[in-house]
Amino acid sequence: MKMLIVADWGWSEMLWVALISVCLVFFMLVLLVGVMKLFGYAFTVRQAAAPATAPSGRVVVQGQVHEEEIAAIATALNIYRSAMHDRESEVLTILSIKRAYSPWNSKIHGLTQMPDRK
Amino acid sequence: MLSFLTAGSDFVTESLLKFAESTGIAGFFSSMGWGSVVMLGVACFLMYLAIRHKFEPLLLFTIAFGMLLTNLPGANLYHTELFAGGHVHWDIFVANAGLLDYLYLGVKLGIYPCLIFVGVGAMTDFGPLIANPKSFLLGAAAQIGIFVTFLGAFALGFSPAQAGSIGIIGGADGPTAIYLTSMLAPELLGPIAVAAYSYMALVPVIQPPIMRALTSEKERKIRMSTLRPVSKLERILFPLVIAVIISLLLPSAAPLIGCLMLGNLMKECGVVDRLSKTVQNELMNIVVIFLGLTVGATATAEAFLNVRTLGILVLGVLAFAMGTASGILLAKLMNCFCKEGNKINPLIGSAGVSAVPMAARVSQTEGQKADPGNYLLMHAMGPNVAGVVGSAVAAGILLSFLG
Repeated sequence: MKMLIVADWGWSEMLWVALISVCLVFFMLVLLVGVMKLFGYAFTVRQAAAPATAPSGRVVVQGQVHEEEIAAIATALNIYRSAMHDRESEVLTILSIKRAYSPWNSKIHGLTQMPDRK
Repeated sequence: MLSFLTAGSDFVTESLLKFAESTGIAGFFSSMGWGSVVMLGVACFLMYLAIRHKFEPLLLFTIAFGMLLTNLPGANLYHTELFAGGHVHWDIFVANAGLLDYLYLGVKLGIYPCLIFVGVGAMTDFGPLIANPKSFLLGAAAQIGIFVTFLGAFALGFSPAQAGSIGIIGGADGPTAIYLTSMLAPELLGPIAVAAYSYMALVPVIQPPIMRALTSEKERKIRMSTLRPVSKLERILFPLVIAVIISLLLPSAAPLIGCLMLGNLMKECGVVDRLSKTVQNELMNIVVIFLGLTVGATATAEAFLNVRTLGILVLGVLAFAMGTASGILLAKLMNCFCKEGNKINPLIGSAGVSAVPMAARVSQTEGQKADPGNYLLMHAMGPNVAGVVGSAVAAGILLSFLG
């Protein structure tokens, strides 16, 4: 089939391009799946072999803590810290308190006076 | 004396008329003046969506303001004729260019989308994708919407290059859509950018009905196995490997993928924290301002107010819906070949349409509606970031065929 310039493409060319493009996207990403699987395999084997040669005690490899473990630790800390205080009723009450007048609790003396405009 | 005053009054009247004609207000009464008024209304509406409803505000706000500036008659901030025919007319550029013309060069030359991708890469955690490479398949499936829309746009009478640019809206990736459109069909940049960013903001509205329609209650309750831990060395090698493989196989995708992986490597290597923070914050924010303003500036009344824009908006929704559906359907198909206990929750398939991290959040929310104890977010981030790679690959393929 003679290659047409893009502007002159008809349905046949468009369908072929769409089909080839979908196949190419899948091919590229399947290739990446393969490469990443190989990587994953190599690193899993490497990680499994590491503790055997390591000295006694638990070997901690960076990035080995699972996201779920982190979430569990964070939740536990949150619960612990929130339990340090009594749970309040969350109902706001304002009690009126009457005190004998004194210049020390006088509202008018406790506020900065606004300058008056004359 | 009288003749002097008469001559003077003529001069004054003529001068005032000349001044009145030079104001922008006179422009509203010219042939396309009504279009400018409508576009100012559209700009204000988009700004309302960005400010009041927080629809992708970072970009929609700047796009709307660029739209406002370019449609003010007489402001002369942006000139379509300098970029007519898809080329920069350097011979008349310096003499005629306004502020937004200079800034638009960054879009025209494909600089801004790539710089944004550096920042996106620095903010992206590819860990879930490295831990579960099968996610790449879901990212690939969600790109089917691009190619179905590509055909749909051609059926509506768009040229192949324009159809490719409209199809890429389905990738739900703003910088990729802008990059491809600026290369293939710059005359559609305004409507396509507005459609892409508006629909990305509407992901929580568009996706859930499709997700619920295509999955059963039992499927939505599937709990996925824990992802394996990913070492730092893997995280460092991942961007290098992806950049090299994709750039070798598909050179037209190299600018986008290369920049994405550059940003990611800056983050993961841990020795250039200052650069990583800069590309995530200062650089990204500056480029977002320039990109938004100039993309909005391309939405002139002549370019925006026509039936084609309506077609682009409709096709954009279809592209999103197709991408969402194909991601979910592939996840269901993959489940046919997975062992019990290793099944994929099909809800994460919809996250394959980039829109990071909104699409992954939608998967999480829908999963928790079926089973409040099910946490799908990390699993959905795999297809989500695979979608970014997938849409850049799809853009590269379209560019190599249609460019």
